[in-house]
Amino acid sequence: MTPERLLHETTSLCGTCKNAVPAQVVESAEGEVWMQKSCLDHGPQQVRIAEDAGWYERTRLRLPDIAPPRRVATDLDHGCPFDCGPCAAHRQRARLPCVSITSACNLDCPICFIHNRNTDPYHMAEEDFARLLDQLLADEGGHLDVINITGGDPTMHPRMLALLERCRDAGIGRVSLCTNGIRLAADEDLVRRLAELDVRVALSFQSFDQATDRDMQGASLVDLKQRCLDLLEKHGVGTTLIPVMTAGLNDHEVGRIIRMGLERPNVRHIEIHTMSYTGQGGKDRPREGRTSMDAVLRRIEETTGGLLRPDHFVPSPCAHPLCYQIAYVLSDPDGGRPIPFLDFLTAEEMTAGLSGRLYLEPSPALERAVIDAIDRHWVEQREGSERTLHLLKELLGRMFPRRALSRAEALRVGETAAKAVYVHSHMDEETFDVERLIHCCDLSCTPDGRQIPICAHNVLYREREPLLAERAQPWPEHERAGGVRGLPVVAAS
Amino acid sequence: MRAEESSRGTGDFDGERCLVTGGSRGLGRAIAVAFAAAGARVAITYSRDDADAEEARAAIAAVGTEALVFKGSVADSAHVDAVVRALAERWDGIDVLVNNAGITQVLPVALVDEADWDEVMAVNVKGAFLFAKAVLRVMIRARSGRILNIGNFASERMIEAPVHYAASKSALRGLTESLAREVGRYGITVNLLAPGLLDEGLARMLPEHRVKEYLEQCPAGRLGTVAELAGAALFLVSRGNSFMTGAKVAVDGGL
Repeated sequence: MTPERLLHETTSLCGTCKNAVPAQVVESAEGEVWMQKSCLDHGPQQVRIAEDAGWYERTRLRLPDIAPPRRVATDLDHGCPFDCGPCAAHRQRARLPCVSITSACNLDCPICFIHNRNTDPYHMAEEDFARLLDQLLADEGGHLDVINITGGDPTMHPRMLALLERCRDAGIGRVSLCTNGIRLAADEDLVRRLAELDVRVALSFQSFDQATDRDMQGASLVDLKQRCLDLLEKHGVGTTLIPVMTAGLNDHEVGRIIRMGLERPNVRHIEIHTMSYTGQGGKDRPREGRTSMDAVLRRIEETTGGLLRPDHFVPSPCAHPLCYQIAYVLSDPDGGRPIPFLDFLTAEEMTAGLSGRLYLEPSPALERAVIDAIDRHWVEQREGSERTLHLLKELLGRMFPRRALSRAEALRVGETAAKAVYVHSHMDEETFDVERLIHCCDLSCTPDGRQIPICAHNVLYREREPLLAERAQPWPEHERAGGVRGLPVVAAS
Repeated sequence: MRAEESSRGTGDFDGERCLVTGGSRGLGRAIAVAFAAAGARVAITYSRDDADAEEARAAIAAVGTEALVFKGSVADSAHVDAVVRALAERWDGIDVLVNNAGITQVLPVALVDEADWDEVMAVNVKGAFLFAKAVLRVMIRARSGRILNIGNFASERMIEAPVHYAASKSALRGLTESLAREVGRYGITVNLLAPGLLDEGLARMLPEHRVKEYLEQCPAGRLGTVAELAGAALFLVSRGNSFMTGAKVAVDGGL
């Protein structure tokens, strides 16, 4: 790769020793974006981080809202990313707090990007979980929009339901359970109980192909996942599909996965991750499957027949724009082609409608944006306006029927009709960029009050945590070198 | 406060013959139950949900009255005439009519079609007119009667409300004043009760920020209850309230 132009500088990690190293992000002669860096001990390294430099530059300029954590847990000592907790340099609150309630997992996925421990596994004690919830609620002013319960696989926790009941009792808006679905597919009573608790299931779903599934998850689970999805649909459990995109392996299926999500009434969101090469499985995967946010957006366009184009997505206002891209789609109850929100809202209206949240919620800004869009289409009568207005009116009729729904019921109706497609690009040690990290809203939270950006946790911290990882080793003092002590600057070069 | 409690002190309804349209749930049911608790004979109409109607019948029975229950649309003159004829025969008169039946749609003006407008007007305005006209033949003959129309704060304040709904509730005010003027000489009073946002019905489904906006403007700082509104309704149609007619009474926490 021949660098043509410097786009910006940042701090990354050495792919081998994980010490922090200066990095340059450059445009290649082919118009791609590469990160180049060099470790004193392990030499020069480079990795492609986007296919399209134009997209990368435009996207990176969309600065997120700055909303620092209300509580700083750690002092600046080694520098970013070695002081996570969060430290005083972090720029975003925990919009998506993730809690690993167990280190146990009933799969050993070749793509697994975290470290687990099945030997004498850790299961978070209920009192620790209660303390963690109290801390999170205190940090967020008494209300949490969402919490993500994860593992290992959280269904391996013997008291998982008791923990979920605590979440319900705490009045958390969305309680999400991140699972491979094995336990759910075998236990309809458990699915029924999740429905009663209004817990949402974030189901990993990689492929419709048995061989691909085995390659990614170490087992052929295609039929099991379908059974799990059928049970979730039967009991009306709100579901998020989470496929991990690997170039040349399953990225040609992304459109089919999205279509399935749009067709199944209980699927509210489809959250597409890019493969990250870290953790107990990912670090040993061949790198030819590496893909990037912009590449996934293009695969989505190709495989959905243009239903969703890259310009139908906006960056999340509460994360770095290279980390989260969001599109909402308005379903047609009569089975017609869904309408992307950005076909009737402007990107600015969509961003305003998100109101600093990860998910659309009823808000004055969203109400204003939708009414403005309705008026605009009504006045201008563009192509497709009549159908858009018809679908919006139909949706309003279902959300506000003659017999009033509760807010939760109305939200369920709204999310069934207006589904979200997210692309979430995780980082590994090779693509690590502290500029992105400091804006992370997806924080791994522990009972001792620490909140660690999820990519830092996956790449650096979890493998040092004896409760969660096999053979965890404390951090040798000679490591954690090169951390950034000043605030990284987010700006175009 | 329970509905039956709210009716205390609003006058004696023993033997009064009271008809409440849209009485199967919400405010209509609360008013019907309050009438029954105050000793009235009660009839309700409803248009759709049989289960709701049975619940209302049971709630009225629980305070000691066997309600007469009629199913049909208030916008259907045949239904209206049948109800009033049946009650006039069964009760030998009608003392009180509460025009409570109403519908709304949450729509911006761009999405309100002619059919939407017609439907809301048919139920909210034409229905009140049809029932009022039908009972007036009975009330004028008796030289006595009280009619209460249920409006809404949407017609009294410049708030974000669907245009057809706000217009229909404003029309009820005109209907109230005009009718009060025309039939006052027969000893019939016609008044309008304009509730604020209540803790049942619309407020349950409004986004939290909309309810918050309301509460910020409302001196009482809270939502009303259907029991409180039922108490106000019973006062307005009580025998003791004999010199008030053509009035609009807002019960909205001081909005």
